[in-house]
Order: sequence, then structure tokens, then C-alpha cells
Amino acid sequence: MSPSGQGRKVSLAESIGAHLLLVVAVAFALYPLLWVVSLAFSGAVEPTPRVLPVPLEPTLEHLRGVAFSTLEVPGEPDRWLFGLQLANSIVISLATALVGVVIAVPTAYALARFEFVGKEGGVRALLATQMFPAVASAIPLYIILDGLGLLGTRSGLVLCYATTAVPFAIFQLRGAFETIPRDLEEAAMVDGATRFEAFRKVVLPAARPAIAVTALFAFMSAYNEFVLAHTMLGREEMYTVPVVLQRYISEFSADWPKFAAGSLIVSIPVMILFYIAQRHLIAGLTAGGVKG
Amino acid sequence: MFIPLIVGAATSLFAGRPGEGYYVGLANFVEILTARGGPLLATGSFWFVLLVTFLWTAVNVVLHLGIGLALGLVLSRPTLRLRALYRVLLILPWAVPSYVTALAWKGMFHQQYGAVTGLIYAINDWFGASIEPIAWFSRFATAFAANVATNVWLGFPFMMVVTLGALTAVPADVLEAAEVDGATRWQRLTRVTLPMIRPALAPAVTLGAIWTFNMFNVVFLVSGGDPDGSTDILVSEAYRWAFTREAQYGYAAAYAVLIFLLLLVTTRLPAWLARKGAGR
Amino acid sequence: MVAVTARTIVKRFGATEVLRGVDVHVPHGGFAVLVGPSGCGKSTLLRLLAGLEEVTSGEIRFGDRDVTRLAPRDRDIAMVFQSYALYPHLTVRDNLAFGLGLRKTDAATIASRVTEVSAMLGLDHLLDRLPRALSGGQRQRVAMGRAIVRRPQLFLFDEPLSNLDAALRAQVRVEIRKLHDQLGATSVYVTHDQVEAMTLADQIFVLNRGVVEQVGPPREVYEHPRTRFVAGFLGSPAMNFIDGVQVAAGGLALPGGQTLAVRDPAPFGAALQPGRTVSLGVRPHDFVVRPDAPDLVVDVELVELLGPELQIHARLGGALLTVCLDSQSGVARGDRLPLAVRALHLFDPATGLSLRA
Ligand SMILES: Nc1ncnc2c1ncn2[C@@H]1O[C@H](COP(=O)(O)OP(=O)(O)OP(=O)(O)O)[C@@H](O)[C@H]1O
Ligand SMILES: [Mg+2]
Repeated sequence: MSPSGQGRKVSLAESIGAHLLLVVAVAFALYPLLWVVSLAFSGAVEPTPRVLPVPLEPTLEHLRGVAFSTLEVPGEPDRWLFGLQLANSIVISLATALVGVVIAVPTAYALARFEFVGKEGGVRALLATQMFPAVASAIPLYIILDGLGLLGTRSGLVLCYATTAVPFAIFQLRGAFETIPRDLEEAAMVDGATRFEAFRKVVLPAARPAIAVTALFAFMSAYNEFVLAHTMLGREEMYTVPVVLQRYISEFSADWPKFAAGSLIVSIPVMILFYIAQRHLIAGLTAGGVKG
Repeated sequence: MFIPLIVGAATSLFAGRPGEGYYVGLANFVEILTARGGPLLATGSFWFVLLVTFLWTAVNVVLHLGIGLALGLVLSRPTLRLRALYRVLLILPWAVPSYVTALAWKGMFHQQYGAVTGLIYAINDWFGASIEPIAWFSRFATAFAANVATNVWLGFPFMMVVTLGALTAVPADVLEAAEVDGATRWQRLTRVTLPMIRPALAPAVTLGAIWTFNMFNVVFLVSGGDPDGSTDILVSEAYRWAFTREAQYGYAAAYAVLIFLLLLVTTRLPAWLARKGAGR
Repeated sequence: MVAVTARTIVKRFGATEVLRGVDVHVPHGGFAVLVGPSGCGKSTLLRLLAGLEEVTSGEIRFGDRDVTRLAPRDRDIAMVFQSYALYPHLTVRDNLAFGLGLRKTDAATIASRVTEVSAMLGLDHLLDRLPRALSGGQRQRVAMGRAIVRRPQLFLFDEPLSNLDAALRAQVRVEIRKLHDQLGATSVYVTHDQVEAMTLADQIFVLNRGVVEQVGPPREVYEHPRTRFVAGFLGSPAMNFIDGVQVAAGGLALPGGQTLAVRDPAPFGAALQPGRTVSLGVRPHDFVVRPDAPDLVVDVELVELLGPELQIHARLGGALLTVCLDSQSGVARGDRLPLAVRALHLFDPATGLSLRA
């Protein structure tokens, strides 16, 4: 048998094997998620150990309970607490993504294109910041924010998140810019662009997938973070959703269905973003910092 | 970006609660490294936690890489049907906030109500076995396994996506050349594909290792260090010192500095060795 | 349309001196081709003309304008890159319009120029495609179009055809020359393909290790190479060289004991002093079969048929020669082939300079 004939034909067994592997993996990937979903809709009071994640006595009560929590301040009209908190999360995460990208894009571009003293050291120092545990930087950040009077504010939290999001974003984007051929910018400059125009009209659009992915990462890192949020935010209406969810299952009362319902709602925006970015994800990651 | 790092390093030289700290020099480090006078490998001592952390990182990275690579390779087959669907579904764990999944996994490992216990009952029913529900968080091995399962679940999509990306950079003609040269499928994988994607994977693995080393959420939320702090890794130990044991910031910061130095040395080591080797 | 003058250009990258005092003059509307071996500095010189690199010292003038320190955008030039450098996120139409848009040309003018150029280059049906959906040849055309549409004063080409297959290369080569004649713009063209150099150029600049070894019209450079390097670089197959040839009373003492009479010694003047050692160069095409009164006789070792001609590998004493003859000449392996030499070149073995006065 010719080697090429062997390569083209995919045997049935092999194809079944591949699908089997994938189905198992998908089951592994989805099982905990399905549990969260089922729990969120489950009306049964007494949980029982079961295999299949189907809700018992389906109900929307938990979802409603979470989504329509209100803030009751005497003398003021009730405010939609969960709405506030979700908005907090989204605003803070968007701000983090924005700050991250705005700082990282020019820095990463400079690192990718220009030679300057201390460049290599700078890159290494950036990687090093990834090594300082985020939890551990909670303490110094707390002290700094306290000093700046930003403790308990959204901007303070964005600042905290930016300290970790920016280095990673720079790292990521530098790799992406390095894969864009210099010829492109030079062609643009010969065509009459200034250096900045060449960057804006040629490099940026070409790097768009990588930038999108980087922004997504920054967004997610902020959206998912709870240790810092838990430490820095004092008042209930300032909470981000991870803090809210965590409180449903604090040591004193474990309201799992509420937690699950909240998780469901909270996950939806990220899922949507992921779905949109998924096309870019592979290209963006390959071009990006993961290439060192 | 570097300010927290510097302030953190400075904090490690002080002792006492915040606000009333006093300078103690390197005393925090000395105490940590000597396990506060106790036996060096007792549960909760720095050295014990360090061992656990290394074990944790090694096991997780191997599993992440193994699963991610396998899925990436399978998913990159052009003849595969439903490729896009599989890919979306497999990336999902990455898209869900990690504290949600960490807690979901903790729920699944609940001794009375957890889905894992449900599975055990089901197996008992079907096969007539009589396995007892496991109290996952009362023994080190099972608690550790629960943490690992959770973290593997969280981390494999990243590796899978990186593998997929790296694989797009392997030109088909190189593989065809190897095929013409008589390489079997397995040889093509091990001699051509893997070496070619290695440069793209290596930094991802390094980054993944760093993240795992510092993976606070999973340990804190799933096992919470149970039983008795034995499954704590360095980061969660540092957190405990900072926020639960009377806010010993200096002490916790010293932990953080140690973590940082450890990671710095381990990740730079290969490069240093390479340079030394090349310099000869 | 300007004359391009570069004077004593020196370019260093760190410690390496890539260009060591290069002078270039291209008259208004001229077509200059820079040739030379890989790494000799052709691209660097072109990029200096474009303003993509800065000269270490020297001066560049377009017409009477000193552009030495001007940014590329202020030089009014267009460049075609070897990689084409098409903007991947823009359609062919937008690629063509990019430069005009930057210069705030009004939309109507842009549209009409794009239409004009795409008709000229046969790109009409591709205008709405992205570069990645084009073949190599089509991409090359778009790159050309992007240069032409701007109507610049000066065209710069860096090996624009090297990614095309042979047939397409020949075709586009002809088109480039036609376009040049039609547009009348000054062009500087880098290549290492000598057919391109010979056919396109008004003036060939032969670069070697950062200096211009010879400048001149193709015919002159080909027929009267000033150095052994130029002689060997231009022409295909390459010129035959026989080193260590003694000048004797009756001519040149060839290896194997034959003597080659120099029929027209006048151009060499005093260089042909008996006793002197020289390097002899003869182009493969400058041999003819001459059974009655041969200049020399060689032993045929291998004969290759290249369609219209035979490429013969022959031995003369210890030296190997390549001889190109008409395919009808019926030469076979093992023949002793009587040849006459139509033109010969002599070089100083030490300096490599031609001994022609
Ligand atoms: N940015 C740079 N830094 C250092 N050296 C460079 C740089 N650019 C070019 N060189 C060096 O300058 C020399 C000339 O390069 P150049 O690109 O001009 O060669 P070339 O004649 O175009 O060759 P080719 O035919 O291979 O394209 C080479 O030795 C190259 O290594
Ligand atoms: Mg070149």
C-alpha cells in the first residue's frame, strides 16, 4: 500500500475513536456547568445525590430572587441592587480592558519595533510581574489605595486590576506586533503615511484579532476576580458580582440554588464575548505573547 | 505595575498588624524558613507547603498539557465532523468565571449531596458494587485529587487553544515530506509535529505553570486547605496569614516575596543554564 | 519625474559598513537597475532612496531638491516590495486607494484613478477581494497598481518579480518596461536576475560589497566589463576564466601547450608585454567552430542540448571551459573541437581590473 493512500483514508475505527475522545471530553467539560444550570432551576428543597443534572421541580424562583434583589435604604426608594452590582462588574471590567489595551498597545509596539537600552530587561521584568501572586499583591494594593484615598471605589479597583492586566497585555501584543511584517508599515510610509498613520491605519487593523483577544482576557480577569474585590469594596451597592455570589454561600448560609442562579446570569455576558471572539481566539493567541 | 511589587517587598520587612507595624528586618523570612522552630516538614510549615505546591504544579501542568495536546491534535484533523461545535463546547470551561466552577466542583464533591456521590450510588446500583461515598475533603490524597480535577478542568481549554494555534503554523508540505520519507503516523507526530509546535507551546507552558503555582481560587474555594491546611499551596497559605490569622501582613508579604523569588529562579534557570552552556 | 542623484553614500549598521561611498545618478525618466550578489547592499541603497533608512553620510537629491533627511512620505515616491506588502485588511480597491486617501485626494479623483489603473493592469474583476484571496501574480499586479496609481516622481522596485514563476516573470518584465515608457517616470529597480537587468535597464549599476563596480548601458557593461567581478557576474552561462596565462611573443600561452593569438591587440596597449601573467576571460557565446584555422582546440566532455543551442563542457589542458554553440553544430562527446575566439577579455590577476585601455 502506498504511504499516501494510507494517509488520506481515515479508517472508521479511527474516526469513531476521535469522536469518542471528544464526546468524553465534552461531557467532562459540560458536566459541572450543567449542574450549575440544573441547580439554578431546581425547586427541590432537599438536595439528593444524583447522576444526571436535570432540575427537580423546575422553577424560576431563584433566578428571580437573585436578579431582583433590591437595596432598601430607609427614606429612599428601593434600588435595583443586582442591577447595580452587575453594572459595577461590567463597568469595572470594561474599564480594565480599556485601560489595559490603551496602555499596552503603544508599549508593546515600542517593544516590538524599536531598539532601546534596557529593552530586554524590561520584557523580563514584565514577565516577572506575572509571578508575584495576585493574592499577595492584595496587601500592598490595599495600602496604596488607602494612601490614595481610592479604597472602596471603582477606580481603585480598576487600578488594581490594571496592574496585572497591563503586563500580560503588553506581553501578548508584543508578540502580535512582531508577526506583522515591517514591509507593511514601510509601504504605508512610502505611500505617504507618517509613522503614526502607518501604525494606526495598517498595524492596528492587522493586529485587531490579537487586540480583541487581549481585551477579552483583561475583561475576563477583572470580571472573574473576587479576592481583591472582596478586600477592597466595602459597601453592598459597590460589590462586583463575584463578591455577591460568594456571599450566597458564605460560611453561615449556603444558598446553592441562588448561587447557581446568579452564576448563570453572570456567565452569560462572558459567554457572549467568548462566542464573538472565538473566531479570533486561536489566531490572536498564536500571534500573541504566548509566543514569548 | 511594579509599585505593588515593591511595596509588597517592603512590607515583608515589618511585623505586627497593619498600622502598628514595626521594622523587623529579615526576621519574617527567618521564621518562615525555619518553620517557626517546629519540625521542618510538619503540615503547615513552609517546606511542606512548598512540596505540596510543586506537586500541585507538576501534576496540573502535565495533565493540562496532555489533555490539551490530545484534544488539539484531534480537533485539528481536517476530516473531523462537527469540529466547530466541539471546539466551542470545549472552550466553555474557560469562559465561565473560575470561582463559579470552583464552587460547582466543590458542590459535586459534597459527601452527601454531590454529583460524584450520585455517580457512586449509580455505579453501586448498576454493578452491584458497594462503594461508600467518599468524604473527599477529609484525606489529603482525595482532597488534593479534587483540587486537581477542578484545576485541570479549568486549564485544559487554554492549552487546547494554544495547541490548535501552534498547529496552524505547521505547514502541510512538511508533514507530506515526512510521509513520503516513510514516517508512520506516530513518527510524524513525534518527530515532526511536536518538535515544530514546541517553540509555540513552551512559553504557554511556562505561563501555565506560573498561573497554576499561584492558583489561589481553586485551592481556596474547593478544598479550602482541608484537611487541616495540608492541601494549601503557598499562595493560599500567604492569604491565610494576611486575612485570617490576625492580619500578619508582613508575614504574608514575606511569603509572597519567597513565591516570587522561587518562580523567578525556576523560570530563569533554563535560560541561565543555556547561556552558560553556550558560553563555553 | 526627476533625476536622482546620490553622492558618496555611506551606510553603516553598527560596525558593519554596508555601503562604502556609493554614487548613483539616474537621469530624468531613466531606468536604472541595481544588480549584485546577495548581501551587497542593493536593498539598503534602495531603502536609502526611499527614506526608510537614514544615510550615515552622503547626500541624496531628487532634481534640485535635497531629500537626504526627508521622511518617505515627503519624497513623492512609490515602492514595490518583494513581499508586495499588500495591506491584508483592505480590499484590492482600498489597497490601491490607500496612498491617495492619505494625501486627501478627493473621492472622485481616487475613483477614476483606481479605475484607470485597474483597467491598465487587468484588475477590474478583483477590486473587491482581499489580498489573501489572490494568486501570486495577481498580488504582484496589485502591488504595481498601488505604485502607479499615485503617479509619483520616482518608482522604486525591490526584486518585484522574484516570487513569480518563470513564464509570468518574463511577461510582467515586458509590462514593466512598457509601463515605464508609457508613464515616463524615473525608476530604480533592484534585481539579481541578469535577464531583468539587461532587458530593463537604461543604466546598469553593478554593486559589489558596498561599492559600485561599474555603471553603464547594458551593452557596454556586458561587452566591456571593467572588472573581473563584473565580467563574471553578468552573462549566462558565466564567462570562462583561465588564470595564470603567460603573455608570449605570438600570443597567450594556454594550459596544455596551445597558444592563442590575440587578433586585435590594440585596445590592450602596453598590457600585452611578453612575460607578463594575466587572467583570460572568454564568454561561452564568443566561441565559434572554425575547422580550417582554429585559435584553439578543446576536448568535449559533455554536451547538453538546451533547445536552440548546445552547452558544451570542454577541457583545455587542465582548464574547464563552457562553450555555447548552435544546436545544429553536431558536436558530440569525445570530439576534439576546433574553435575560434570572437572576443576576449584580459584582467590583471592582482587587482581584477580589465587590461583594456
Ligand atoms: N538593519 C540592519 N542591521 C544590520 N545589518 C543589516 C541591516 N540591514 C541589512 N544589513 C546588512 O547589510 C548587508 C546588505 O544588505 P541588503 O539587504 O542591502 O542586501 P541585498 O543586496 O539586498 O541582498 P539580497 O540580494 O540578498 O536581497 C547585508 O550584509 C545585511 O546583513
Ligand atoms: Mg535585498
